[in-house]
Amino acid sequence: MIAPVVAVGELKGLFAWLYEKLQETGLPQPWLDVVTYAVLGLVVFGVLSLLALFLVWWERKISAHIQQRFGPMRVGWHGWYQTVMDAVKLLQKEDVRIAVRDKVVFFWAPVVGFVAAFLAYIVMPFGDGLIVADLNIGILYIMAVTTFTIISLLMAGWGSHNKYALLGGMRSAAQVVSYEVPMVISILSIILFVGSLSMVDIVRSQSGMIFNWFIFRVPFGPIAFLTYIVAATAEANRTPFDIPEAEQELVAGYNIEYSGMKFAMFFLAEFVNMFTVSAIATTVFLGGWNGPFLPSWLWFLGKTLCIVLLLMLFRWTYPRLRVDQLMEFSWKFLVPVTFANLVVAGWFKYAGWYW
Amino acid sequence: MGVVKDLKNLVKGLGITGKHLGRHAITIQYPEERWTMPERSRGIVVLLSDKETGELNCTSCELCMKACPSGAIKIEFHRDENKKKVLDLFDVDNGLCCFCGLSEEACNFSAIKMATKYEFSVWNKDELIWDKDRLQEVGRDVPYVDTRRKKKARLKPMAEKSTETGTQESDASAAESEPRPESGEPSEENKQPEEDQGGRPPEGGGA
Amino acid sequence: MAALRTEEFVVSMGPHHPSTHGVCRLILTMDGEKVVHIEPVIGYLHRAIEKICENRTYPQCVPLMDRFEYVTSMACEHAFALAVEKLAEVEVPERAEYLRVIMVELNRIASHLIFWGVTAMDGGAYTPFLYGLRERELIIDLFEMTCGQRLTYNYIRIGGVSRDIPPEFVPQCREALKIISGKMSDYEGLLNENPIWLVRTKGVGVLSPEMAIAYGASGPVLRASGVDYDIRRNDPYSIYDKFDFNIPTQPNGDCYDRFVQRLDEIRESIRIIGQALDGLPEGDFKKKISPRFKAPAGEVYSRLESSRGEMGVYIQADGTTKPLRVKLRGSSYNHLEVVPEIATDVLIADLVMIFATLDIIMPEVDR
Repeated sequence: MIAPVVAVGELKGLFAWLYEKLQETGLPQPWLDVVTYAVLGLVVFGVLSLLALFLVWWERKISAHIQQRFGPMRVGWHGWYQTVMDAVKLLQKEDVRIAVRDKVVFFWAPVVGFVAAFLAYIVMPFGDGLIVADLNIGILYIMAVTTFTIISLLMAGWGSHNKYALLGGMRSAAQVVSYEVPMVISILSIILFVGSLSMVDIVRSQSGMIFNWFIFRVPFGPIAFLTYIVAATAEANRTPFDIPEAEQELVAGYNIEYSGMKFAMFFLAEFVNMFTVSAIATTVFLGGWNGPFLPSWLWFLGKTLCIVLLLMLFRWTYPRLRVDQLMEFSWKFLVPVTFANLVVAGWFKYAGWYW
Repeated sequence: MGVVKDLKNLVKGLGITGKHLGRHAITIQYPEERWTMPERSRGIVVLLSDKETGELNCTSCELCMKACPSGAIKIEFHRDENKKKVLDLFDVDNGLCCFCGLSEEACNFSAIKMATKYEFSVWNKDELIWDKDRLQEVGRDVPYVDTRRKKKARLKPMAEKSTETGTQESDASAAESEPRPESGEPSEENKQPEEDQGGRPPEGGGA
Repeated sequence: MAALRTEEFVVSMGPHHPSTHGVCRLILTMDGEKVVHIEPVIGYLHRAIEKICENRTYPQCVPLMDRFEYVTSMACEHAFALAVEKLAEVEVPERAEYLRVIMVELNRIASHLIFWGVTAMDGGAYTPFLYGLRERELIIDLFEMTCGQRLTYNYIRIGGVSRDIPPEFVPQCREALKIISGKMSDYEGLLNENPIWLVRTKGVGVLSPEMAIAYGASGPVLRASGVDYDIRRNDPYSIYDKFDFNIPTQPNGDCYDRFVQRLDEIRESIRIIGQALDGLPEGDFKKKISPRFKAPAGEVYSRLESSRGEMGVYIQADGTTKPLRVKLRGSSYNHLEVVPEIATDVLIADLVMIFATLDIIMPEVDR
């Protein structure tokens, strides 16, 4: 049984106090661990939900200010709890149900999507010692778990009993699958230098000076970062790869038959996914929670929000790629480039030019 | 290399949108802040009253009714014992009005004007038809240039005593803002029309 | 194992759709993603303008002509005024001609800005729409200052214009033009060189010059296919022969060229307005026309270069105060005919781009 990491750093006192309280309840050991992990999981879930709500508000504000308008202004100061009100509104909407046999698939698709979005945060290092479980296969686990979203896309497309939703779901599934490959290979080029798959080790190997960050390992670092960002944008279904969500395309997305809270789950899952890919970028390329003076979780949050801002700028600047151009770009351009990058990184490692 | 040029252009695009993040937004929060409309702005039709006596300037000449392409104006009058026209009914259907301004331009008596007001939403379409009193009341605080005295000097005397007391505003602005018959035949404008002059649509075809 | 069977399906890209500009219904027969057959169904915006004009006097027709193509209202009014003036041999004072040219060219810039924004939005870039509208606000503020309205102006009348420009018009106009020409580099930098945009629009929807001429295409669509024809120069009306401006053309006739062509035309319009403001003479702004204006019996067709192409008005008059028949020619009608020709066997996304770059406006099609 993997013991929870003993907190080091800022929140040591808080976690030690919580663990003490749990031990005082007198539960036997296996149950104590179960309860501990359950509590940690709930904490992470709560933090992430709040983050997702914040991200939705932030996207609306950023897009508005790029377009020189204000965005939400009425609900609270600069509309800060607009997303909460939108969620309340979605709760009140009629839950449209489909009168066909595959009700189970239709019902469980948003659930699977929502759960899959949160699974990656078990190994996400939010700060120095702030990690639910430091698995020794951390990054591999994340890559495996992010593919669960494809299942939910296909389930949504199939269960909607609508040929356009099915087409849309298949297109999104094809897109996510084809951009998984460059994403994984770009991360792999960096993992060569860490020697371990554990997320904490990846972050620790970038400690020290800013130039230890993997993004600065020229020449393969920046290229890996660029290809990762492009692949991550496609994984998160954001423009320029947002075929599933575009209204201007005739074939709408996989979520056209969903209304109310089910739609809200898809919507929030998308923003959580966006945060996931940005968090992975921060951990692998930008040094994770390393940084002077400020608490480590603040550094992590700041760096991740910078990547999120970059993704948002992509959405509001670039036009959309056509479906066949999207697939062509992935298989004919990104995959060869990432493989070449991997070879170069391997050569650097073999020749020992980087430690 | 093509890829480097593409990357450069992509970053240029990001720069153009990104620099707007530092600028202030240019929209205003309606209804707390309202834009001041330019003075020539064509909003709803109002009836103007004399600045001193407070009575309507309208003489029931029906020129605006004939000028309106949508048939939004309805006028009824009768003649009293002095053979003077008295206005009974002046209805403007704001649902039909297309805000073209032709009625304002047709009027010779500074009786009708397009005010700068634009907020008149109602819940029921019938409330869009405004009668004489409503039009006069809304038009009370609309500033206007009174051009009647100047026109009256060129018209056939029609013994309209109420208009004689109207104050005379400056002529210069009147001359450039209203297309009036400076050199034309004023009597032609005032003649009682016998044949169908305007393209007034048949009654009952409106709202 | 049975062989795989594929089937074409029919989809109605219905009247309500975010990227048909206005209410146009396209019945598409699709083979997967590819469009095999297109059938446009029009008439959803038919307002019987031509019929209504038969019951209105000539001055009363002008607000109706505004609504013929409300994105470029000034050009519609100008076309009608030109037709009636040609018929009745009304002479327009020179100041009025200059004011007309200024207004029509400003409206051309506003219309092209909308085109730029909307086409970018159809391609997936949402921000240029807001930028285009922001600059268009400068122009329609000028219109509001002059005639009182922001969309349907009722300004260009038979015999001149309805009101003279206020004194603050000229400095504000120059200021607006300076801002817009300053922003042109932004507009071009945002999309013209963007690799995603290039890959979306280059080589897509090529309209050959022969086909363009055969279908009666005009305006920027014709010039983007390489045909050097502009009514302002080839068949001059009003006082366009006094101004010095270029007619840009593009070589290929694909979506990218149609997109870039209108940005070039904005620059030329800015030049024309600058020259017109410099040379604006004093004088009357209107030749007095009685409300019971009677045009002599006869027929006339007059055309002008609006922002979408050739806009024509044909009037048959019988000597009374109302026209006998008014026929309007809008260029979008011809451009809509081109769509089934060049948009077959393409993917849906390309159809959307083709429809957007042809700048088809449904009020002009349906009247």
